Amino acid sequence: MQWAIVIAAFLASAVEFVEAFTLVLVARITSNWRSAIVGALAAVATLAVIVATLGVALVTLIPLNVLRFVIGFLLLLFGLKWLKNAIQRYSGLKFLHDEEAIYAANIAQARARGEPVNTGLAPFGVLLSYKSVLLEGLEVAFIVLSFGGSGANGIGLAALGAAAAGVLVIGVGVMVQSPLKQIPENTLKFIVGIMLTTFGTFWSGESFGINWPFSDLFLLLLAAFYLVASALLITAITRRKPRVARASTTSQATMLSQEKEVRL
Amino acid sequence: MNIILKAILAVYNFFVGDLVILLGVTLLMVILALIHFLGALATLRGGSGAILIVGVLVTLVATLGREVMRPKNRQKA
Repeated sequence: MQWAIVIAAFLASAVEFVEAFTLVLVARITSNWRSAIVGALAAVATLAVIVATLGVALVTLIPLNVLRFVIGFLLLLFGLKWLKNAIQRYSGLKFLHDEEAIYAANIAQARARGEPVNTGLAPFGVLLSYKSVLLEGLEVAFIVLSFGGSGANGIGLAALGAAAAGVLVIGVGVMVQSPLKQIPENTLKFIVGIMLTTFGTFWSGESFGINWPFSDLFLLLLAAFYLVASALLITAITRRKPRVARASTTSQATMLSQEKEVRL
Repeated sequence: MNIILKAILAVYNFFVGDLVILLGVTLLMVILALIHFLGALATLRGGSGAILIVGVLVTLVATLGREVMRPKNRQKA
């Protein structure tokens, strides 16, 4: 189970780091590097304090069974949210996340404020960078905390996965110095959604005394089940769309002919 | 808008942002708790794993179904 925790935390963090990096880059362009880095570091420190204090409190004060129930519940909420969004994007119900467009929109918004560029600490740049990293990182912090419920050093393993993703994304981002649009964000979100839903089901089940067959190995079977079900849902929605279109066209035509009849 | 209401809305949006998912998962937990704690429902305990998995899937289908049936998505299709 330990490798699965590291992978889930790594993938979830990678997605959020990509989104945060885009906004840190906006802070760098509209202010300067110093402001962007100070804001980002302050946010990382805040997140570390949240994980350290809440993490220790969770693991030491709350009984394991209660912790597994709360964490299973939260992971199911997070997992289903991520999975739903990814399925919607795959089936065309929602637009794919476009880092370049977000970058351009934020640059325009920040420049519209008309703050002069200088080399010192610019309050707007620091705040933009801080807010972006904190908001994107908060979800990762909660995912890392949630894995604390797995017992055996879950928080440490999840934090390791998150840190590895951070190093990778920031390293690549600093090298290319542009929004990371090549990263398949929706695929990552889809995988993370499957993993969080799987862990959520597993742990909430255990908190109610369910003995899963094959013990931890059941996680793989559960993930495969959710993967197949999600693939079927994507296919069903994609196929249904033309039918919905036909139905709405038919109803529009019916309405128009009724209007004609009334006019006649 | 009242600041407390804003805070509640922000927390709701952070954790779920979808009423169907929230209600579905909460209902599922209530059903599992009843099966687990009520002696009268003890016969269902063996199948509570299957109930949980099917319930999660039903919640996902329900929330996606709602999105598909939204007027703007009908027009988009």
